[in-house]
Amino acid sequence: MSLAILVGTRKGLFVLRGDDERREWKVEEPLLPGWDVFHAVTHDGVVYAAANNFVYGATVQRSADFGRTWERSEGLGLPEESGLTLEKAWHVEPGHDGTLWLGAAPGALFRSEDSGESWEPVQGILEHPTRDRWNPGAGGMCTHSIQIDPRDPQTMYVGISAAGVFRSEDGGESWTPANKGTAADFMPDNPFPEVGQCVHKLLVHPARPERLWQQNHCGVYRSDDRGENWERLEGNGLPSGFGFPIALHPRDPDVALVVPEEGAENRVTSDGRLGVYKTSDAGQSWRLSSKGLPEQAWAAVLRECMSFDDLDPFGVYLGTQSGSVFVSPNEGEGWNEAASQLPPILSVEVGEWA
Amino acid sequence: MPSLLAEQARGQKEFEVEAPTIGAALRALPLRDLLFDERDELRPLVNVYVDGEDARERGGLEAELRGGETVRVVAAIAGG
Repeated sequence: MSLAILVGTRKGLFVLRGDDERREWKVEEPLLPGWDVFHAVTHDGVVYAAANNFVYGATVQRSADFGRTWERSEGLGLPEESGLTLEKAWHVEPGHDGTLWLGAAPGALFRSEDSGESWEPVQGILEHPTRDRWNPGAGGMCTHSIQIDPRDPQTMYVGISAAGVFRSEDGGESWTPANKGTAADFMPDNPFPEVGQCVHKLLVHPARPERLWQQNHCGVYRSDDRGENWERLEGNGLPSGFGFPIALHPRDPDVALVVPEEGAENRVTSDGRLGVYKTSDAGQSWRLSSKGLPEQAWAAVLRECMSFDDLDPFGVYLGTQSGSVFVSPNEGEGWNEAASQLPPILSVEVGEWA
Repeated sequence: MPSLLAEQARGQKEFEVEAPTIGAALRALPLRDLLFDERDELRPLVNVYVDGEDARERGGLEAELRGGETVRVVAAIAGG
């Protein structure tokens, strides 16, 4: 087994195989050609891909032999009484005790207890009493973030755009909005609603799980109390509060990296460059951390397109809509281009590959 | 079957099925979930031809098959 980057694109899943230094990467031919791979992850030797096709719909593809053969989840869908039909599969998150979670649009969460063969919709999300106040963002009403407290698997979080952050303390049965202090500036009559916020990416810190980070449509936020209260972290060096992905240090909860964009109306990286900004003081200050990244670029890095490993020093991985993958083997301090000219990149994840 | 669908059926492009209607023939395939949504509606960008004629001209999926027809699935021209 060796380290690999799983790059989901609009034209299949690419696997980048790296050396131990994480400096040289080899692009392997695409898997799942013809499928939009919104997210792919490896877990216990199985590859799972949230795969969508504009004609044939949404499914989860899984491979137990690293892409040589695939099985898809048949019968993935929403119950008739919901009045909803499945639009897109967005994100597969391995849980505890073999449970898998799938985030989907419109505003849906599924769980699987049979390694992804069959999926049951989570009623607590599907029938959430605030659902009539949720609205789709530009990418549809997507459940894109699923986070599980590593110390207490009963505590979970989801991020749905644009519904906000929800927390469960009973293993996913019931869900409470956790959006206090996060803004919905696009709702001028009530910019701090209970729900309706446009969370773009939500992460729980692996070493301090009561600390949450989120990149939102309206700012970058940190919570130190499991999402009860959020602090907006703007100014202090960030050129913009708008952006999509966020990455964390696997051990130091004060370190985070974001990729700011000009704004909602002009979704390109700020200041005409591909700029990663890093904080080492829990978001009080940010500095450009882009050595090796293009200095003349109008790129876009989607919400699933930045990832990090747990090595020391930790590596950071990002992919652009223009088909480039960049890797920093040293915590964002320097970057190398690992691949270019790929199709538009929808997701980047690190995994073990045989 | 288009090649993307064939790939989802372990490379099989052609199937022989016995079915009373066009819809029943499609539902008998191991690709049913890709052709129909969870409400059992044919996905809107899937076109079906029977002996070269659009299935809609024959009365849609409920139209009867007499036997020996060739049913062809074609994806709508769209995308990017």
